[in-house]
Amino acid sequence: MREQLERALYIARKDIRVYYLKAPNFTYGLLMPLALYLAFGVSGNLNAATLISGLVSLVVLFGATSIEAVAIVSERTSGTFERLLVAPVSLRWVLLGKALGGAAFGPVLAILALVPVTLLSGAQVAGHIAVLVAVAVSSFAFACLGIVASAYSKWIPEAQMYSNFLRFPMAFLGGAFISVESMPEALRLFSRFLPLTYSIEALKEAMAYPLPTVTYLLDLLVLVAFSAGCLLWAERVLRKRLA
Amino acid sequence: MGSAISVNSLTKRYDDLTALNGISFDVHRGSVFGLLGPNGAGKTTTIRILTGLTRPNSGEATVLDYNVAEENQLVKSKVGVVPEASNIYEEMTALGNLVFSGELYGVPSSERKSRAMQLLEVFNLADRARDTVLGLSRGMKRRLTIACALMHRPELLFLDEPTTGLDVQSAHQLRDQVRRLNKEGVTIFLTTHYLEEADQLCNTIAVINWGRIVALDSPENLKASVTGDRVVEVSFSAPVPEDGLKRLPGVVEVYKLGDKYRLRLAGEGDSVSDLVEYARNRGSRIATINTLKPSLEDAFLKITGTTPDEVSRDKVQPRQRRMDG
Repeated sequence: MREQLERALYIARKDIRVYYLKAPNFTYGLLMPLALYLAFGVSGNLNAATLISGLVSLVVLFGATSIEAVAIVSERTSGTFERLLVAPVSLRWVLLGKALGGAAFGPVLAILALVPVTLLSGAQVAGHIAVLVAVAVSSFAFACLGIVASAYSKWIPEAQMYSNFLRFPMAFLGGAFISVESMPEALRLFSRFLPLTYSIEALKEAMAYPLPTVTYLLDLLVLVAFSAGCLLWAERVLRKRLA
Repeated sequence: MGSAISVNSLTKRYDDLTALNGISFDVHRGSVFGLLGPNGAGKTTTIRILTGLTRPNSGEATVLDYNVAEENQLVKSKVGVVPEASNIYEEMTALGNLVFSGELYGVPSSERKSRAMQLLEVFNLADRARDTVLGLSRGMKRRLTIACALMHRPELLFLDEPTTGLDVQSAHQLRDQVRRLNKEGVTIFLTTHYLEEADQLCNTIAVINWGRIVALDSPENLKASVTGDRVVEVSFSAPVPEDGLKRLPGVVEVYKLGDKYRLRLAGEGDSVSDLVEYARNRGSRIATINTLKPSLEDAFLKITGTTPDEVSRDKVQPRQRRMDG
């Protein structure tokens, strides 16, 4: 298992080098959520903590899913994904490595968004480490979601379509622009099935309290369970497709 | 000499298509084994099963004494795989690609760079070590793909169409490297469209067609199996109609190959006189004429029922086939 984890980390590092450290990825990961936020978020009656947690979660969502969904499809098309599969690394660990690569990108974008927005709004962040942990766990969960989108896709446009299909409704129903509490009951219930809801909630808790709260820990637990579910789902789909 | 690969009644189906239909063969350790067949015959499917990428529906395969289905990871750690299309990361440097292969296969970190540099030397890529793959020629990419597959010093190397699309010089260099690797004790499992290449490199050749092994022998024995008919290759000083050639006494088949015709002749008739007269009657004369010994291509054609044109242009597209191997 140690060997497999080590190789998964090498895959993650390779992905970071090959896919993530590119200027367009940073601009897309930051600009798209910012544009959405300026269009829909700032005009509402949301407080600074809700605004910031919403924006940061969106940045992480867009950053981690966009490349992850495309990276695997593009590797499958070019044949480089097969290079990973013929190596002594099981598909599960290959996917974990991919998710870790995508997850590493989210916190970088989150910090780029969080620092100026917090300074400008004058909002207080009570639990700095808790914020970073929430960002990292959210980023991992969204990267895993991107992997599911990629598992179903043969071509890059297809992967982009699936990831947009998941991201945009989530952006509106996950509490980024409208607080979940103010939604009608049916939507409130629906929002509980969206990982973004837990990401935003965990960030809000971390910003408000210096120590992790029960809600915060439960949110992280849901995100970890969601991630594991996504990875197993993607593994199953890919196994069938590659057989 | 034991078996590096042992395949027993392997069957693979994709929906209603049977890609492999109960194939069996053995590959001796230290040998070069060639798997030949038209497109869609089952070559790539065989490699995919032997390298653990695909599971068979039935049958059994052992690679280096490990059961492929049950000891997948052990098999993968002992073999190198060079797929038909180069699978290196174009955004990474040549050295970076090799080091990454070393990481994937658990090569100790202290040895990765030195092994990578050594392979770059062997494959004449040392001066491009720090260049991204994007800037390398096709031949260089192919050599780098093979070098990547050798980072963990595999005992068995799968080469799927290694020289397809390469210029003559690059293909020649690659064949030399395959011979050198084999001399060093690496067992080679090769698929190729180039029958001459298989003839030059392989100790044993299996011909696969429609998912079945239809011939399995040494190249010389396969060639010797083509008996009975004579083959004559003839070119004319001025064009002559092909249809007329087909009607000459004793001519069984006629293929146009560039500026020449290849005629398969049956019986003992004086075909040369007939050809001379045929050319003269049409205002032409024979420019060159050669009687050919049966080649591996002749054996392949006889076994698979394809034409030289289909083989040389890689146009064999059997009906109902959708797999790439």
